[in-house]
Amino acid sequence: MSIVRSSRIALPLVAVLALTACAGDAETTPEGPDDTASTPEAAEIRLWLNGTDTPQELRDYLTETFAAENPGSTLVIEEQDWNGLVPRLQTALASEQQSPDVVEIGNTQAPTFAYAGAFADLTDLYEEVGGEDLLQGFVEAGSVDGAVYALPYYSGARAVFYRADLFEAAGVAEPTTLAEFTDAAIALQEANPEGTANFSGFWFPGQDWYNGTAWVYTHGGDLAVQEGDQWVGALSSPESQEGLAEVQRLFTEATNAPRDADSNEPWVPFNNGEAGMFSAPTWARWSIDLPECNEGVDPEDTSPEAEEARAAQAACNDEHTGVFALPGLTEGEAATVFAGGSNIAIPTNSQHPELARSLLEIMFAEEYQTMLAENGLIPANSQYADALGDDEYATAALDAALGAKLTPAAESWADVEGARLLEDFFQQVANGADPAEAAAETDRLIADTLN
Amino acid sequence: MPAARSTPVPALPAPPAPVAPAPGVAPGGRRRRRRPANLGVYLLLVPAAIPVLVGLGYPLARQFVISFQEYGLAQQFGRPAEWVGLDNYVTLLTDPYVWGVIARSVAFCLVNAALTMTLGMALAVLMRSVGRAARLTLQVGMLLAWGTPVLATTTVWQWLFDSQYGVINWLLAEPLGVTGMRYHSWLIEPASFYLVATVIVVWMSVPFVVFTVYAGLLQVPGETMEAAQLDGASGRQRFWLITIPMIKPVLFVVALLQVIWDLRVFTQIHVLQRAGAPTRETHLLGTYIYSLAKEFSMAGAMATIMLVLTLALTWFYIRRMLREEEM
Repeated sequence: MSIVRSSRIALPLVAVLALTACAGDAETTPEGPDDTASTPEAAEIRLWLNGTDTPQELRDYLTETFAAENPGSTLVIEEQDWNGLVPRLQTALASEQQSPDVVEIGNTQAPTFAYAGAFADLTDLYEEVGGEDLLQGFVEAGSVDGAVYALPYYSGARAVFYRADLFEAAGVAEPTTLAEFTDAAIALQEANPEGTANFSGFWFPGQDWYNGTAWVYTHGGDLAVQEGDQWVGALSSPESQEGLAEVQRLFTEATNAPRDADSNEPWVPFNNGEAGMFSAPTWARWSIDLPECNEGVDPEDTSPEAEEARAAQAACNDEHTGVFALPGLTEGEAATVFAGGSNIAIPTNSQHPELARSLLEIMFAEEYQTMLAENGLIPANSQYADALGDDEYATAALDAALGAKLTPAAESWADVEGARLLEDFFQQVANGADPAEAAAETDRLIADTLN
Repeated sequence: MPAARSTPVPALPAPPAPVAPAPGVAPGGRRRRRRPANLGVYLLLVPAAIPVLVGLGYPLARQFVISFQEYGLAQQFGRPAEWVGLDNYVTLLTDPYVWGVIARSVAFCLVNAALTMTLGMALAVLMRSVGRAARLTLQVGMLLAWGTPVLATTTVWQWLFDSQYGVINWLLAEPLGVTGMRYHSWLIEPASFYLVATVIVVWMSVPFVVFTVYAGLLQVPGETMEAAQLDGASGRQRFWLITIPMIKPVLFVVALLQVIWDLRVFTQIHVLQRAGAPTRETHLLGTYIYSLAKEFSMAGAMATIMLVLTLALTWFYIRRMLREEEM
């Protein structure tokens, strides 16, 4: 808009700037990376990590270790938002000047880019970084015709967090089957032990398809299935419909979460006392901050007293909070939840592939994998999953992860997510639409997008 | 910016033949001296013409070419693109959903442009008649509303309308007693979604209209108004029969810009969609093209359709403007 408004003044100026900019560019380009060198030239490489899933401690470790192992080179970590990641990668990865050197990508988005040829072939690195021990579902998501283009980074299984004190006050026990879970959520909401306004037994916002999918998967349904060389939407299948009926019951009776919200930051209402349960990846534990436990410690403060207060705060939060893996159809088994997680890859257009590989080697070494596990993420190499520990969080995470299932491995699955078809669908279900009708329409849209 | 480097420098536009008779026949030397000056004028156009050609012409041409190809992510990474003729256009124009998006966009654009113009003109007239202090306050407020980045403004409005923690719902429920509105979802129904979007878009575009129209109003000579008053014209008559015709060119340009801007509105709609609205039911042209971006060729075709639509909507204004310039 501004160009039109101020064109008379701005354009000649822009012209001059544009001309000088182009001239500068032309001069510097030939001095680009030198491919003939045997040891990689020292350079700055860029790693794109998404969201805040990778804790700061791990980021610091990466930059320091990388600088130590590659003298003269530096690693810059740029945090990207999960929202709108696909279009950003579409443009950045296609450009030699803008492409980062290593990218984290959602496991559901990896196939699209692997098929498009956006990532360098890592097949020769595969054995070296773990081979068969790597999470195989994620390896498949990053492979095309037997060649590996994107390696697993981590997996985050979803578990249910609950307020233990509210459970007790409402006389609700930890559910052992999926049906019991719904009953528990409804009972908790009806009891509303603290009399909170707009209280939700289970925090379940309308667009939360990550959690809604668990009911579809557990009842044996699917989002889409391959028939011959065509993909068809599977939300209308009787199994999926069974799960969706349960989902709708939860939406109507067990939650007061807004229908126009997604699964972002479910701990906010939980910390506010407005929800008795929420379901999220297990690292959500570090975001729980109940007001009755908050000691008001300055996060920058590293004095012994501050550390002590922080420990007391964590212990208090843990005491008020319980966690369990969403139970399955029969007692003693876990539900098939949606496996969230990431792959990691080197873009074809990376100007420093050697250095990028060196970074991957650091990330797949025992030390870093252990650090991932210690922070509640299920590491790419399952050998190191022991470091998750054996507290209730680790147990819940592992239970959930064992049965977890990825989204359909269709080449253009990322487009389904990009078009937000599932957000729209679950919102319709939350809003009281007939699940069968909504499913039929969404199945049609999914098939249109995938084929 | 490889595009900039590879684009050939456009040939200079040839200066049109002078309207004046041949120099030999011309009386006196005045005309002869004007010719080199004329050439200089065209030379001065070059710096402006180059960025326009590079910045607008190149993407436009490329979009047009892509719209006749099959061009997706794989082509972006080097696979050759296939020519598909009019396939993309046929696919889009035979889809009733696309026509729905077009109809919604046109309606949204006209309503918003009309509202913005009405409010903007009213405030401009108000600013002309109030005292200095009030005018300054208005101007500063207006500048702030206009100067705040779109994304910041949109985010604030989105928080105001938030269903759980939003101020609007709280105000409606607590002081005003409409308890049913305490947790109302503003974004979930397309109609109220567009209402919120309209509030944001109008909020951000009114200041521009006010300032421009106000500048126009200052050009209306006081003597003319005084003479009309002496002739017994009422305030209403003076406004509609003298002021409006006199600032008509300004109004036309502003209205034209409003229509163009409101037709291609993107940021406000996109942010609101992300805040929890049903995406498919709330697409306007801008966000719909963005959602097609997985398939660049389809997005290119849709963008071309939108360009034609914009030209059709504004054709009347443009023709009129060109005619007035000729006179």
